[in-house]
Parts: sequence; C-alpha cells; structure tokens
Amino acid sequence: MEFLIKYLPQFLDGFVLTVEFTVFGALIGLALGILLAIGDLYGGRIISTIIRFYVEFFRGSPIIIQLFIFYFTIPNMLATIIDPFMVGLLVFSLNSAAYQKGYIKGAMEAVYEDQMTAGLSIGLSKVQTIVYVILPQALRLVIPAWGNEFSSLTKSTAALLVIGVKDVTAVGKSIAGLSFRYLEVYAFVAIIYLIWISVMMKITDIVYEKVKIPGIEISA
Amino acid sequence: MGKQKKEAVGTVGRKMTDTVMECRNLWKNYGKITAVKDVSLKIKEGEIKLIFGPSGSGKSTLIRCLAMLTTPTKGDVFLREECLTRPDVDLNKARARIGFVFQHIWLFRHLTALGNVELGLRRVLKLPKKEARKRAMQALREVKMEEWAHHYPAQLSGGQQQRVGIARALVRNPDIILLDEPTSALDPELIGEVIDTLRDLAKKGTTMLIVSHEMPFAREVANEMIFFDKGTIVETGPPELFFTNPRSERAKKFMARLIKRTKRE
Repeated sequence: MEFLIKYLPQFLDGFVLTVEFTVFGALIGLALGILLAIGDLYGGRIISTIIRFYVEFFRGSPIIIQLFIFYFTIPNMLATIIDPFMVGLLVFSLNSAAYQKGYIKGAMEAVYEDQMTAGLSIGLSKVQTIVYVILPQALRLVIPAWGNEFSSLTKSTAALLVIGVKDVTAVGKSIAGLSFRYLEVYAFVAIIYLIWISVMMKITDIVYEKVKIPGIEISA
Repeated sequence: MGKQKKEAVGTVGRKMTDTVMECRNLWKNYGKITAVKDVSLKIKEGEIKLIFGPSGSGKSTLIRCLAMLTTPTKGDVFLREECLTRPDVDLNKARARIGFVFQHIWLFRHLTALGNVELGLRRVLKLPKKEARKRAMQALREVKMEEWAHHYPAQLSGGQQQRVGIARALVRNPDIILLDEPTSALDPELIGEVIDTLRDLAKKGTTMLIVSHEMPFAREVANEMIFFDKGTIVETGPPELFFTNPRSERAKKFMARLIKRTKRE
C-alpha cells in the first residue's frame, strides 16, 4: 500500500486530467448538443441531414478511432501539429455532443407542440419560445441522462493514452510497468474511476432534485 | 380594465363601431380537406360573439386562423386596420395584441401561475420586472387566482389552470381575446368558475370571440351567435333568435339537441 502512496502525486495528475476531460467535455458537449438539437428540429432538411451524419459518425465509431483521426490524420492533411490535449478535448466534446443532441432533441419533441403554440399565442417569437419555454422544460427532462453521459466520458478518458495524454489509466500503466505490481495498481485505478463516477452520479441526482418542478418529471 | 386597456394600447377615441377583428373570405385547407370554407366575419369594439356548432366543423381551425396560429390558405385577416395575412407583417407583434385561450389550457408547465402571466410582459412587452409583476398580480386578481400565484400548473385544478390561462391572455391588454372552447376539457363541476370569470370580463366590456356550447352563458352575454357547420357560417343572429326560432334547419336541430342536453344536466 505504501508504494501506492509514493506515486500518489502522479495518480493525482492523472485524475485531474480525467476530471477535466469529463467536465469540460460534457459542458461543451451540452452547449453543442443544444445547438445540434435545435438545428435538427428547425434547420430544414439539409442541415438536419448533415447533423445526422455527424451524429452517426461519433456514435457509431470507437472513440479511439476518433482520437486517431483527429490527432494523426487531420493534422497530417493540414501539415501541422496540434496539441494532444486540445485534440482530446475537441474529440470528447464532439463525441458527447452527438449523444447529448439525441437526449435533448427527444426531450424537446416531448414538450414541443402545445408549448410552442402557447408561446406564439402570447406574442413570443419562435426563438424566444425555444429559449424561454421549450429548453427550460427539455433540459430538466434531460438531466437524468447526464449521469450516463458522465460515466461514459469518464471511462473514455482511458483511451486518451493513444494520443499521449496521460489520464489515470496511462499513469497506472507506467507505474505498473515500473513496479510490476499490476494487481494493486490497476485495482487502484479502477477504484479511482468508480469513486469519480459515483460522485458525478450523485451530483446529477442532486441537480435534478434541485431544479425539479412539479409536473415536469421523468415518470418512473 | 377598460381604462387601462386604452392607455396601454395607446389608441385614442375608440368607438363602439370600430372593427377590432375581421376576416374576409377565409379558407383553410389541409391537403384535400377543407376545414374552413369562405368565412367572413367582423367583431367590433366591446362586442362578444359566440361561435357554436358540431364538433369537427372547423371552429377551432377558424379561431386559430384569426389568431394567425395557423396560416390561412386563402383570404384575409385584419386586426384593426392591419392586414395580418400580408407576407411582410410581423406576426409576433400582431399576436402580442391578441389574447388566446386554449381548449386544453396549455400553460407553460415549468412556470408558476405568476410566471405564466408574467412571461409575455417581460419578454414581449419588455416591461421592467417590478411593473411586470404588479400587472401580472393584478391580472391574477381579476381571475381570482392571486392566492395561487406561486403554484405550478400541475398543482392546480383544471378550472384554476384555465383561469390562469385567461389571465395570461388578458394581461397584455389585447385588442381582443379569442377563446377556443375554454370549458369543454374541464370536469363539469369546474366549468362554473371559468364561466364566472368570463362573465366578469364581459361586464368590463372586453371584446371577445368565443367558441363555446355553454348556452345559458351565451344567452346572457353574447351580442351575436354564429352557427358554424361544415367549415362555414350557416346562420348568425342575436341569442334570442337561436333560442326561440332559428331559421336554418341545421341550427334548429342542433339547438334542440343542445337544449335537451342542458336540461338533463
């Protein structure tokens, strides 16, 4: 156990990275996801088709492949080098956006029709109705799905080692290689993920309860 | 309300003879189905007109076309002198001057009663927070829902929700309030409170077009009743005409059925 304590600073560095990627990835993903959902619902056929291709790509391929493409292929084509951290964050955000767009669009469709008509009837524009009426309801419905999103993003940070960004998994790998104590190291890494995911799930629950409004709940 | 109304809209010298809303030769088709067929009608300042007729006859479609919540296929809608069916009209601005009450109420589910009434004041009329709140509370008082201001729609009964719906429609001091069967989705014991609210509005001289089958209420407040069937106006006249001796065969039959039903209740 003491030897793990010796490496604690390195583990901590890796953990911070995991946290950064999940939190920023999910938040940027949320912002993009909202835009994609609106684009898909109201953007017309061409925009909606483009968005579907985008979503299919990010949901239908392994995140490792996405990292490879963005880190090796695209800079190669453009003949530049991109900072691996930024590439990682970009891929995480785009990937998360693809999933979140699905949740948000579904929730918007669930509240859409009568609420849009009601919004227009008091003189709000379509955009105002989306901002002040549809999204506040849809986002509340979407919060429970964030738990899944956080957990899947957290686990995906392990894949970052393929582009040389060292999250806890990468840190664990090098420490295990040095110490040959694979069982303890990887068990410890797994526990770190587990704790972080549990914390995020809990926070999601708290947020959901906090902003919950009678009448806008996910029926069990 | 009457006084406030004039100052808020800023129109001087309105007369009872001024036309508030009008439609000329209005048509609405859904594919091959014609929901509204060549309808023309006029509502003057302070007038209350009541549309009734069999379900599926196009009453809701007509009233939605008048509010420009549905775009008419052909024909024109006027709000005062402004033609709303011209392509260059700012429909959001026009709709802000029309109050609309829905059959299924359709309150904003994430907002309290107060929030529902306030939203249009804040985001459409862009009133400062304090003033918006004051006016919203005043509107809730008019429909006797002040005590429930901080309740969410899901915490209110159907009748209470509809009264909030009416407050939401009248709070902007619209030129006219259009009501699409405001009581027909409510439990029978809740209809009375909504009718009372509407009666109050009528007393204050609110210009209204109401789709409804509440006949005693119609007889009491309507200046004119419009019998609507198969997408078009069959017969119009004062309530007394319909209750005593409607001219058209269809109206006669329909009234007989309605009166029989009312007596049973």
